[in-house]
Amino acid sequence: MNTTAQQLDTTAIAPAVYATITDAICREAEKALESGAVAAVVGWQAGRRQGTAMPAIVTTPADTDKLIFSPACVNNLALYLSKAKKEIRARGKIAIVVKGCDLKALVGLMGENQLKRADIHVIGVVCPGVRGTSEPLAKKCRECTVHTPEGADVTVGTLPELPHFTPAESEELARLEAMTPAERWSFWKEHFARCIRCYACRQVCPFCYCEQCLCDRNRPQAVETTPRPAGNMAWHIVRAMHLAGRCAGCAECERACPMDIPLNLLNRKMAKELKELYGHEAGFEVKEKGPLAEYRENDDQSFIK
Amino acid sequence: MSRIGVFVCHCGENISRTVDVERVAAEAARLPGVAYATDYKYMCSDPGQNLLKNAVTEHRLDGIVVAACSPRMHEKTFRNAAKSAGLNPFLCEMANIREHCSWVHEDRDEATAKASDIVAMMVARVKKDKRLVPITVPVTKRSLVIGGGIAGIQAALDIADAGHQVVLVEREPSIGGHMAQLSETFPTLDCSQCIMTPKMVDVANHPNITLHTYSEIEAVDGYIGNFQITVRKKARSVIEEKCTGCGVCSAKCPQKKIPNTFDKNLGTRPAIYVPFPQAVPNTPVIDRANCTWFKTGKCGVCQKVCGPGAINYEQEDQLIVEPVGAIVVATGFELYSITEKPKGSPIKGYGEFGHGTIPDVIDGLTFERLASASGPTGGKILRPSDGKEPKQVVFVQCVGSRAREKGISYCSKICCMYTAKHTMLYKHKIHDGQAYVFFMDARTPGKSYDEFWRRAVEEEEAVYIRGMVSRLYQKGDKVVVMGSDISVGVQVEIEADLVVLATAVQPRAGADTLAQKLGISYDSYHFYSEAHAKLKPVECATAGIYLAGACQGPKDIPDTVSQASAAAAKVMTLFAKDELEREPIVAKVNEKNCVACLYCKKVCPYGAVEEKEIRDRQGNLIRVVAYVNPGVCGGCGTCQASCPSKSVELDGYTDEQIMAMIEAL
Repeated sequence: MNTTAQQLDTTAIAPAVYATITDAICREAEKALESGAVAAVVGWQAGRRQGTAMPAIVTTPADTDKLIFSPACVNNLALYLSKAKKEIRARGKIAIVVKGCDLKALVGLMGENQLKRADIHVIGVVCPGVRGTSEPLAKKCRECTVHTPEGADVTVGTLPELPHFTPAESEELARLEAMTPAERWSFWKEHFARCIRCYACRQVCPFCYCEQCLCDRNRPQAVETTPRPAGNMAWHIVRAMHLAGRCAGCAECERACPMDIPLNLLNRKMAKELKELYGHEAGFEVKEKGPLAEYRENDDQSFIK
Repeated sequence: MSRIGVFVCHCGENISRTVDVERVAAEAARLPGVAYATDYKYMCSDPGQNLLKNAVTEHRLDGIVVAACSPRMHEKTFRNAAKSAGLNPFLCEMANIREHCSWVHEDRDEATAKASDIVAMMVARVKKDKRLVPITVPVTKRSLVIGGGIAGIQAALDIADAGHQVVLVEREPSIGGHMAQLSETFPTLDCSQCIMTPKMVDVANHPNITLHTYSEIEAVDGYIGNFQITVRKKARSVIEEKCTGCGVCSAKCPQKKIPNTFDKNLGTRPAIYVPFPQAVPNTPVIDRANCTWFKTGKCGVCQKVCGPGAINYEQEDQLIVEPVGAIVVATGFELYSITEKPKGSPIKGYGEFGHGTIPDVIDGLTFERLASASGPTGGKILRPSDGKEPKQVVFVQCVGSRAREKGISYCSKICCMYTAKHTMLYKHKIHDGQAYVFFMDARTPGKSYDEFWRRAVEEEEAVYIRGMVSRLYQKGDKVVVMGSDISVGVQVEIEADLVVLATAVQPRAGADTLAQKLGISYDSYHFYSEAHAKLKPVECATAGIYLAGACQGPKDIPDTVSQASAAAAKVMTLFAKDELEREPIVAKVNEKNCVACLYCKKVCPYGAVEEKEIRDRQGNLIRVVAYVNPGVCGGCGTCQASCPSKSVELDGYTDEQIMAMIEAL
């Protein structure tokens, strides 16, 4: 393990970098609102407690100076553009501040007919990394491949030189993959046993935009709703399967989970499978058909035994 | 509370041999909601159906489960019976306790328990069945025929004669197919072109036939009664309307050394050509790959000599959309080639026959061109290597066919007869020549077929040797044939002047690609599959698409023509109605829940899903949802499986019904 990296706080990486980005965001937001190109800007503002941040929706040029970018800007704001958030979409064209990982979610939403590229103005931030829930640097950031978002309307900030981080999550996944099925089963059983079915993971996911979740249906009931082992297992399998090939890896589910279930491990595993089987990586281009919605003669059939 | 009737069929002994039908009926009677249950020897018989009808009235039934065979067999029978008793036919379901139970099990107790479970599941499903009304869709009374060989020609003529419009699409520059390449035909030895060309002329002149030659199917959309076909009309470089077919362009073309594929590359042709003298249409086409103008930009002789100014080098492929109601697929066959096969191909080549490198080893179709009056030798049988008259000819049957070790296990059906014909044609032209035939066994079932073969053996003195050939090799100007005569158990070696191989009949290359466009199924060899081997031999499993000729399996001319007429009859049956009634088992979208992620649209194999805008009274867009066009929906349920929020469901197979069935287990 790289101990230096372990102890490194994100603010210590480059405090000035975040400040520069904050300035640039404010400038871009002000410009967009002043020119009337957009009706609102979705970004982050400082939280009430020192060193925290929270989502903000700014509608006047005067308010833009409250927008910030700091290691606390963890939220994936793409969530605020899904159709479920009607009050925001109804305003008209929206500008949105995104990190690379958040942009992947936006691209996915465009592919799923939830969003039109023409309806949004994307302010991309070059992100050196954000904080994790208990770690100084979020696990996803340790193996981030999209520090610089591609395809934004305007990109702010420059990437400082980053130290080499050990990919903690991939290592954990490799450990799981090396287990026997029985061991793996008990690993997940243990984690899912804690689940209280608060559905925070669902509410925070930009891809869980269904008007009515199938897990809330009771006629017929597909998934048991009380937090008991069978229903918990079913819920998490449904969640992982529904996100296969779509999840952009923002890891918001894991961050929002009050019971510390390592949900992004599942997401990462599904993404890995999709890449190995179909060469598909979610969130890099607007695709009309993902690999799971398409049938090809040469599709892998080896799972049929 | 439901009042379901359960009728358990013995199916003679088919079911009752393994399943205690009385016990199944007795157990069904105890199920909640079942008002009446009985068993009967033959439910599909008239008395059986009457039993059902009477029970509906007598017991005021509001749902029916017939526990019998597969719904593929008798669902229609019982739904009609239910309908005549005043019940909505879609409240009648079948529990398959024959194919799914009695035929596959031996233990009587276990089979009976399983049959009861199947019945209980279907009772649970029927309780949640909705009253459905059949969907009617209009029929476009216009047909597409793909392939202009004898199959396609016959089907097109029959449909056109019945008064319907036909679009005939042919890949080559002329219609005629393989039959136009043959010299004489068995078992009567009449000239192939003499009997075929009148039909070709009929096609050319028929007011109801639109002919697209040098064209291919680009895309197929729609469904029975309402297909949209996109035809790619390849650039001929000759304007058909202006061309008079005088032939000066071909005569003056300086590029004359192009192998003539119609003559199996024995002769040559110019770069602007008609494939054969009787071609329909008699309009030449420029072979752009070999034309000097297209290769170097210099020449232009044909354009200079063309009186009507019909040559257009700038012509481009045209895409034409043809609306049709039915499709006849008649794409024919090609012959197996003994050359080395590319890696990965399941069919192997014949290294022991020289992999096709010995010039005097030819296939049956090449022999036809040698024997044909319109062929490269003017009907003289001369061998390809040095143009000498062959005095000893060896014919080898079953090359590729019936050879599992080579990858093809089927019989090509026509080779026994055409080889017998070849020996005769040979004897008639070269009186002092000797024909030998290596054969496994002669398969000649057909009217006057065996007599024909006997004539070849007994009167025309072809020597038939029962056995296979192990090796062919060149020795001087001879081809040595090493084989065995298993009837006497000796090895045979013949020094032949010419060897003719009856190579296997295979589907056209690219048959699978076309099948995927059409959405029809094919077997491992890529022959197209009929819906039922015996009872639906010309229908595809995809409604509105029919098969004719060798694309479905090896066939001779009489069989091909019969099947083509049968396919035409099926098309006419379809066209006899103005509207088509379709089963209302279609998907419906719950617009309240749909978020229009359109996964359903992405996965729908029928293209039935559209976007629908929901607007308020002022016309403001409220939201977009998915919409399933019931006329196009094939009822497969793929959308239902893919919908993340379960907002689309198939009538008759709703999640509620499936869950109820599982719970009834």
